[in-house]
Formats: sequence, C-alpha cells, structure tokens
Amino acid sequence: MALWQWLVDQYQSWQPVSGYLVHIVAITIPLFVCVAYLTLAERKIIGAMQVRMGPTRVGWKGLLQPWADMFKLMFKEIIIPSGSNKILFLIAPILSLAPAMAAWAVVPLDATTVLADVNAGLLYVLAVTSIGVYGVIIAGWASNSKYALLGALRSSAQIVSYEIAMGFALVGVLIAAGSMNLGDIIIAQAGNHGPFNWFWLPLLPLFVIYFISGVAETNRAPFDVAEGESEIVAGFHVEYSGMAFAVFFLAEYANMILISVLAAVMFLGGWLSPLQGWVSDATLATPYIGWILDDGFHWLLAKISIFLFLYLWFRATFPRYRYDQIMRLGWKVFIPITIVWIIVVGGMVLGHVGPWWDHPG
Amino acid sequence: MSNAARFVKSLFLFELWQGLGVTLRHFLFVRKVTLQYPEEKAPISPRFRGLHALRRYPNGEERCIACKLCEVVCPALAITIESEQRADGTRRTTRYDIDLTKCIFCGFCEESCPVDSIVETHIYEYHGEQRGDLYMTKDKLLAVGDKYEAEIAAARGHDARYR
Amino acid sequence: MSDLLNIEINGRPLQVKPGTMVIEAADDAGIVIPRFCYHRKLSIAANCRMCLVEVEKAPKAVPACATPVTEGMKVFTKSSKAIEGQKSVMEFLLINHPLDCPICDQGGECELQDLAMGFGKDVSRYHENKRVVREKNLGALIATDMTRCIHCTRCVRFGREIAGIMELGASGRGEHMEIETYMENAVGSELSGNVIDLCPVGALTSKPYRYSGRPWENNSISAISPHDCVGSNLAVEVRRNRVMRVLPYENESINEVWLADRDRFSYTALYAEDRLQQPMIKQGETWRTVDWETALSYAVEGLQRVKTANGAEQLGALVSPTATLEELYLIQKLLRGLGSNNIDHRLRQQDFSDQEIAPAYPHLGQAIADVENLQAALLIGSYTRKDQPLLAHRLRKAAKRGAKISAVNSIDYDFNLRLAQNRVVHPYVMPTELAAIAKALAQQTKQTVPSALQGFIEKAQVDAAHQQIATDLREATSSSLFIGSQVMTQPNLALIRALANVIATLSNSTLGYLPEGGNATGAWLAGAIPHRGPGATAISGAGKTAAQMVQDGLRGLLLWQIEPEFDCADPAKAMQQIGAADFVVAASSYITDTMRSYADVLLPITPYTETPGTFVNIEGRWQSFSASVKPMGEARPGWKVLRVLGNFFKQIGFNYLSSEEVRGELDTLTVNVAADTRSDIQQSPAELVRPDLVRIGHVPMYAVDAMTRRAPPLQHTADAVTAMVAINAATATRLGLQGKSRVNVKQNGQSVSLPIYIEAAVPDNCAFIPVAVPGCEALGQSYGAVELQGE
Repeated sequence: MALWQWLVDQYQSWQPVSGYLVHIVAITIPLFVCVAYLTLAERKIIGAMQVRMGPTRVGWKGLLQPWADMFKLMFKEIIIPSGSNKILFLIAPILSLAPAMAAWAVVPLDATTVLADVNAGLLYVLAVTSIGVYGVIIAGWASNSKYALLGALRSSAQIVSYEIAMGFALVGVLIAAGSMNLGDIIIAQAGNHGPFNWFWLPLLPLFVIYFISGVAETNRAPFDVAEGESEIVAGFHVEYSGMAFAVFFLAEYANMILISVLAAVMFLGGWLSPLQGWVSDATLATPYIGWILDDGFHWLLAKISIFLFLYLWFRATFPRYRYDQIMRLGWKVFIPITIVWIIVVGGMVLGHVGPWWDHPG
Repeated sequence: MSNAARFVKSLFLFELWQGLGVTLRHFLFVRKVTLQYPEEKAPISPRFRGLHALRRYPNGEERCIACKLCEVVCPALAITIESEQRADGTRRTTRYDIDLTKCIFCGFCEESCPVDSIVETHIYEYHGEQRGDLYMTKDKLLAVGDKYEAEIAAARGHDARYR
Repeated sequence: MSDLLNIEINGRPLQVKPGTMVIEAADDAGIVIPRFCYHRKLSIAANCRMCLVEVEKAPKAVPACATPVTEGMKVFTKSSKAIEGQKSVMEFLLINHPLDCPICDQGGECELQDLAMGFGKDVSRYHENKRVVREKNLGALIATDMTRCIHCTRCVRFGREIAGIMELGASGRGEHMEIETYMENAVGSELSGNVIDLCPVGALTSKPYRYSGRPWENNSISAISPHDCVGSNLAVEVRRNRVMRVLPYENESINEVWLADRDRFSYTALYAEDRLQQPMIKQGETWRTVDWETALSYAVEGLQRVKTANGAEQLGALVSPTATLEELYLIQKLLRGLGSNNIDHRLRQQDFSDQEIAPAYPHLGQAIADVENLQAALLIGSYTRKDQPLLAHRLRKAAKRGAKISAVNSIDYDFNLRLAQNRVVHPYVMPTELAAIAKALAQQTKQTVPSALQGFIEKAQVDAAHQQIATDLREATSSSLFIGSQVMTQPNLALIRALANVIATLSNSTLGYLPEGGNATGAWLAGAIPHRGPGATAISGAGKTAAQMVQDGLRGLLLWQIEPEFDCADPAKAMQQIGAADFVVAASSYITDTMRSYADVLLPITPYTETPGTFVNIEGRWQSFSASVKPMGEARPGWKVLRVLGNFFKQIGFNYLSSEEVRGELDTLTVNVAADTRSDIQQSPAELVRPDLVRIGHVPMYAVDAMTRRAPPLQHTADAVTAMVAINAATATRLGLQGKSRVNVKQNGQSVSLPIYIEAAVPDNCAFIPVAVPGCEALGQSYGAVELQGE
C-alpha cells in the first residue's frame, strides 16, 4: 500500500502534467490494442470474404495472433540501408505515427470526456494530420532507394490532393455546426429525430467524399498505389524492417481509426444515440437498458466499427485504381462537388432548413 | 444501354455496389473452405509432382541410362548430369544432381524419361536446414527412390492406362 | 552459258551443269532432299534409297543422288509420290534399327533420328525380332554398335576413296549384310576418325567420347590444330568449361571436311594426370608450389643472376614449334631485349649450315588446295601420310587424277597412293640420289647446273628411274618438290636442299617445305630463330642454333613447352647440358620427373585450347583462334606469362592488353616478307662420311609433341611406335643379329636394350630407331652412327 500511496502522492504533486499524462496513456494504450486487433480483424474479415478462415493458430480462433506478430517484429533486426540518412530514416516512422495519435487529443469520447476541449478543434485536426505526410516523404527520401522515393512521391501527392477535398468537406461541417469545437459539432447534431438529426443527411455528398478521401488519405485499397506491389514493391517503406516497419504499420491503422472517428463525430453524431428523441426519459432512467439506449461512448465505438468495416470491405472488393484515375477523381470530381455542396449547405443554413437549422442557435 | 442509364449507373456507383454485394455475400453466407493443414490434408493425385526420386529395377540395377533428356528438357536448368561408360560397358551417370531450389516441379523430367527412372513422388513435406540440403545428389535421389518404391510403383500403376 | 541445262525442282527453274546429279542441284539451290548414303565427298552408291524423288514422265520414283540432270527435267521432292517413297524407305530402314536412342551416342546428331521425325511412323508394322549384329573391335578410336548400321556404306567408301586403305568392307547380303574389318583388324588409317562423322547413325562413334555427353550440351568453338603444319580447322566442343571432343570445322581450302586422328583425339591429353597447374620453384632440392608473382620474380632473379655473372650470350631459349605466334614473338622480343639471340624452335634439326641463305620462312610454294591439281611431285624424305595426313590426302587426290608422284625416302613407307617411282636409299646417299635426278634433268633440258654443285652432280650415276622422275617433273605443267619433315632433321639437309633447288629450277617445279609442328612457319616469321629477327630482318651477330645450344651448353635457359628428352635432336646431350645449366626456367603444360630434375622454375602455361593465339600454316595463312575453355588450375596463357615476365625484367613495350595487340605488332613487322621458297646456292655443302651403321631416327606420328604423346587413345593405335630397332635381313645377317629378339643399342657411349625386328622397308646398313618415344631418351643423334650388339 505504501507504493500505491507514493504513486498517488506523486500524481498529486505533479498536477496538472501528471493528469494529462495519465489521460494520454489512457487513450493511447487502448488505441494501440485497437490497432493490433484491427489487423487481426482485417485478416479475419478479408479471409472470410475470400472464403478462407484467416489466422486460427495462435490462441483461440487466432486471437493472440497480433501479439505473435508484435513479438516477431520486435525481435527482428532494423536494417538501415547503406547510403541512407540514418537520422531521418529513424525519425520518419515516428513522424507518421505521432500526428495520428496527437489528433485524438480533441476527439470527444463522451459528452464530458475529452482530453483537450479546444475551440479550434477541427483546425487542429486538419493541421496535425497534415504533418503525417512528412513522415512518408522523409521515409522515401532517407531510404536511398528508387522504389521508396517513387512510393513516397506517389503517396505524398495523393495525400496532399485528397486533403483539399477533405478540407472542403469539413468546411461544410463547419458551416453546418457553426463551430470548430468537435464537442459542439456533436451537440449541433442532437435533436428528436434520431439519426436524421445528424449531418450525414444534409451533407450526404460531403459525407461520402469525406470518407472516400479518408480512404485515399490513408493510402488504403483501392487507393494504395503508393505501395503498388507490382510496380514499386512496397512503396515508401520498402527498406524498413522490424519495429521501424511496425511503427509505419501502426501509423496506417491508427490513421484509419482516426478517420473513422472523425467521420463518426462529424456526420454520425459522435456519441449521440441513434434513438435520441424516440425513447422516453423514463426508459432512459431504467438501469442497464437505459444506459445502452442513452447517448454514450458505446455508440461512438459502434460507429467507428462501421467505418472500419467499410475500410476492410472496400479492400476485399475493389481492385486498385490507376494513378491518373486517382488524381482525376480527387481534383476533377471531388473538389467541384464539395465546393458546390458548401454553397448548398450555406443556403440551407440561411434558409433554416429543418430539422437541423430550424431553431435559431 | 442508353447514355442516361449509363450516367445514372455510374453516378450511383451501381457496379461498385454489386461488387460489395458479392464480397458481403461471401463474408456472411459462404462456408469457409480452409484446410487445417497438419490435421487435414488435401487428397493427392497419383500424378502429384513432389520430391524427386531415382528408381531402380527390381534386381537393384539403377534405371537411369544417362540419356540426358531430363537435363535438356528441364526449363529451370535444375538438373546436372555427367556420364561415362561403366566397367560393364553400360551407359551410366557419374553425377545426377537436381537443385530443388531451382526446380519448378513441372514434371517434364519425369515425362521425358524413357525408362521411368526419374520420377516425382507424392512427397511434399521435406525441408533443408542448410542451403545444400536441397541440392539432391544421385545418392540422395536413389535413397528416396529405394524408400518409397512401393508407393511410386503404385502411383505409376494407377496412371498407367492413361499414358 | 549455253551449256547449262534447264531443270525445274519443285517448280523452281534452275540452271545446272550437265552431269550434275539431281541431289547436287537441289543442295546448291537449298532444297532439302533426305539422304543417308550420299555424301558429297564420296562416290555415289545409291543404296539407301532415302533420296527418292519424283521425276516427270519417270514411271517410278528415282534416287536423286544417282540421277543425272537432263534438259527440261521436272523434279518433285515433296510430291505425294516422293514422300510416299521416302516414307516407305524409312519404314524399311527402321525394321531392324534398334530403339536404343537414349543410350546411343549419336542421339541428338543422328541423321536417322532426324529423318525419322519427318518420315517415320509412330508404330511399326513389324513384330518380328530385330536383327542383332556382333560387335566389331575397331581399335582405340572407334566404338561400334553394328546392330544400328543401316548399310549406307559411307565408311566403306571412305576407306576406299579417302583413307586409301580398304579396311572396312561389307559382307553378306540383305538382312545378313554386315560391315566388317578384314580379318579382325583394328582400323589403322590416320584419318579413321572421320568415319565417326560420316556414319549417319550410331554404328560408329567416338570411343574416347563414348557415353560422356550429348551434342546439344556442347558449345562449339573454332580453333586451329597445333600438331602439323597444315593448320586444320577444328571445332572444339566444350561443356561446362571442359573440352569434350574435337570435330572438323569445314574449310575447303585447308582440311575440307576431314580431320586427322591426331588433331581429333589429342584433346584427351588436356586432362592428363601430369598437367602442370601451379607455378613451382625449386629451393634446394625440394619443389614448392608458389603463386605466380613469386615464381616469376624467382625466374627473373635467376636469369638476371646468370646474365650478370656470365653475360647475356649465356642465356638461351628452346621453344616448341607448336607454340603460338604471339608466344614465339614475345619470347624472342624478351630474349633479344636481354641481349641474347640464342633462340630456336628447330629442335630436331641438325644441319644449320645453309640457314643464312634459307628463304624467309618455310612455305609450301602453293596453296594447299592446289596440291590436288599437281601433275607431278617428288617427295624428299617425307612420310606425308603420317606427318601431314591431310596434305597427303590432297596428294592422293592428285595421284587419283593421274599425277605422277615419286618419292625419295630412307624407308620404304606405306603410302596410300601409287608412287610412280619409289626410291628407298640410305639417308646419307639421298643427296647422290637427288644429284642423279638433277643430272638427268640437266641432260634432258641441256641446261647447266650451278657451278658450286657441278662436281657433286657430275659424279652421280643416272638410271632409268631417275630419268623417269626427271621426265615426269619436267613434262608436267604443274609440278612440285616437297622437302619433308623427316629429311629436315637429317644432318645433310643443306646439301639435299641445295639439290632440291637445282631440280626445282631445272624442271620448273615449285619447291615446298613440310616442317614439323603447327607453327614452324610462324616461328620463322616471329623471329624465333637465332639469325634473323621478326619479319626476317637481318640482325647483328647470329645467336646459337638449337644444336649449338645443346652442344655447347648455356648457363641460363628458358624451355618453352618442350621436353628435351623427346624433342631435341640429340636427347642425351641435351639432357646433359640442360642439367648442367645454372638456371633453367621451364614453361610447360605438363610436369615430368625429368623437368623436376633439371628445372629451377616451372611455369604452368596452357595448351592451345586454353589460350588465344595464331598459327601460321605452310601456305602462310595466319589463322587466329580464341581460347575454347578457361585455363586449368593456375595455368595461364603463354602470351600473358611472357608479357608479365617482360614487365618484371623492366623491358619496354610489354604492356599488351590482348593477344591481338601482339599479333598486330608482328603483323606490321612482316608485311614485306615474301613467300619465296628458293635458296641461292653459293657453295657446295659438305658431304657426310658414312659410318658402318646409321640410325634412322624418325618421329612416329603420335610422338610429335607433348600433347600427342599423352593422348591415351592415340597411344593405343598401331601408329603409336614404341622403342625398338628395325633392320633389314641383309644387315642383320652382316651384323650377326639374325634370330635375336633384343639388342643393345650403343650411341655416344650410351647403351640401351631394345627389341629388334627384321623389316624389309629399311635400307641396307641402316637401323630404324624411333625418336621421341620412351626408351630412346638415352640415345644420341637421330641420324648418327649407331652400334648394335646381340644380347
């Protein structure tokens, strides 16, 4: 008990830094576990879609597979190519993982739970996630390999292109919610019409574009030309091995989760229950059932899961885009549509179109 | 198909939805066919092309007569043969090597052999602990042949009427 | 031309000479007609019937090989009638041909196999047992599987028409026909290997190559034979950096499609157990294997020491005439750069008295292909058939066309052509014999002979044979004299050469030389002679000849690719003097115990298959070749060794990058060298005093150089002569050696016990004792006085 007491003392004497630290750990550790099990889910789900079983050997139904992968990667040698820039080579994976983690600071997990309740949350998210592209570019350049460099060029060009469409989609949300605070955006979607209060309906084109751009942004199939095996082997991380590779891997899946959570927050009402306004207060007060039906973190989790499943579903279904088609889609289809729909949204907001903007706020 | 219909179809990503439908159907409803390998094994055809073996006649004489047809037909150049006249005047190999790391298991060597000497057995569970372990020399190949002769002969007998 | 006939083959109009066979016309036009028995170098037998073609208006298909063309003839090689005929013939041929292609060495290059793919049936209609034929033993070179024979008789015709000895023949008829030798003999022709190429099936195959490879595995690399001065073109077949066999490379102007057995089978010596593969140096009495750098510095140091102590004139080099042009040139450049002119390749020559007036280089006086058009020829001391087999083939062709070929030899050689006059004389009497011919010519043409020789020629007794030879040479529009390899080692060479010059001048004949070794001509051009530089340039102060070097002894020696106990004119003396030298560098492909005893450094150099190089043949044709395989072990091409040796000696001009560069340098030095064969006689060479019994020391054909001596198949043939003595009956009676089986041979104080045979081919007071064979190393000069004592 003395140790526990000592820890509590330390915690209190180092406030508020220690508080933040604990919060950060409390968010990142589950996030890492999620990433790990996302890889297993991916293998299982894609396997099932291909009439296979996926991993079955490690643990019951293969449930310990991520841990086996992790230990394998941890004990592998990190080979640093000759002629590479050693410092940049090692910084690059960190640079791609860190933003994916940092963006979680402003994501409200619950009505009250948010690490940093920033007013410019949306701007923060946009700014921080943009840094990830540096990791890709630096990794490609530092590897001293033509495949890596070509892969880095492809993926950075792709990320930058789709960020524009993504940004415009968020502008739509911004107009709709009238706030850049993510918590406020969620609250703006509250109402009595269940899921129809959420922004996915009035902003449907932006919602679709946002998610597709998110897939492109994370370099996932069918937009994974950056690591097109048949052309440039594995893209920017071709020279990476062991934990350095694992960090890139973590970053990719952490970004997937981030895109999913942002989509859930901005278009599907975050932690809002889809039954809002349809269930009586009395029912909500009922233990257990009420807790499930009421707003809460579990709804956010469910929404994230839907998006992640979509990610995997797309990967199992669609063949890879040709690079010029990707660029065409980004620049000539998505950006015009978003611009047009921003104007439409502006019109709707000014016209107080219900049930979203019919009460003056 | 009219242009309008095509426009509508492509606008609403009709074919993509169809594709997603296919994968979802397989995800949900199709029985998974994965074989749990060490416990379950796929049935093997008598024509299965696995590890190579050199056979002998029942009297113990090696079949190979060093005609070198397998060597020349091998598309991966995995076979190396050297031959000379043995003391009894017959044509025999002094070296018969198959580099399994080059071999693509196409079965041409077996096909070309006029005396059914080089065969590909049904054995596919083998390994080497060093690189050289997968370089099969004449002695190793003959040893494989001696060990599995009954099964090799049975497989050949099974397939004989189609040849 | 109006005398061409118009014919049509498969609708293609052709113009051909009258007398041409249909198959020849088709071959010239590139139209393929299948055949087995037809071969363009052999007579037409028309017994395989595979070449059946349809001719318009002919009732049945006719054999294309035996049907002469006629005006307006229309031939169809692919008509249904022709194809049906060819298929039927193939069916007959396959009735008895065994299905043993997988173990047959011909598999992959078999004419029957190829044509069976085109004309054979999948299934035979014959269920009777196949014919089996007893194996024949044809000696060490040819393996037989006579069951496979399809009776094309190419081999029989080859023996009769090309080799000139009826060795193989057909006995029996129909299914019982067999190709056999006469009385279970081995085939002894020096061209016998060609039947391997001729045989369209696997009945006759190469014995050394037996079961060792397949034609499709081999890469064919062209090379030049080093064994005789003809310079036959070879196709060296290589597999995985190993020479598998040697085949002829067709060259109509040199070897046609043939190859002598010596050129074909000498490759078996490449992998002899005594190949030298590491540089070695002798320290004290022990030999140590070292790297090249050490060996070369040791050699340079040793030779420099000799030079400092005794002067450059105590350095010398004895080089083999089978060395490449580049090697010969670099050796002389190296030695002359050190200040010595003691370099010679004429190892077995004894008489150098006329070398100053000798032509720029030994030359045939004509192209090899022209030899077959000669109308008369005189062979002087030449066993052409064994010494230059493919030149002998040209002579035989000439003889078959009616040329009158005569010979003056010291042994009654077994020529494969009919000699007009065959004079067998004591080697020391040979000049007198030639003088008699010269005298007869002078009488017939009423011309004078050079004054220097007048006295000698006047003394000669002319008989009818001399008159006939003189008439033959004089009346022929093209005639030639050949100074053979054997006579070039005789001690009276200068006199013989002078007389040959006189005869050639009087009879208006060309004079040709047939030197030993594959590159004697090149050696003269490269300056590997003591009295002239490269390109026959005059030099100041002639060096020592091979004989002088052996006689006087030198303190420092470079031996290039030679074994003095076999290759020198006086082996006993040579061994003694080389053994007494202070420092001996031996560059060789092989290592022997004697080399270990006399040499101080052994440098492994490559034989002709492992080095690029050039050989100049007796027509003066420069034939370059590339290395067929990589050098064995640490052995290196001779020119590279010499190049580095030159650098170690700090000589300038040794920075060659390729053997072509060396050749190019020599090429510019020899542009003005004329191919003249005549000598200008100023004084009469001395006559020899005849001893009681003289040795005739010929080089057997399979002992000419280190490689042939080590080729096991060649050493198991009848032409591989072992050490022995042969004298005629009269001499035996005179010496009281009748009935003896062994004699003691005494020469220069040495005594050797050898078996003795009575041989009528040897002239009186002569004893044939071969040189360059084991057992004769202790003896002296090849044409010196010899004593025989019964044991």
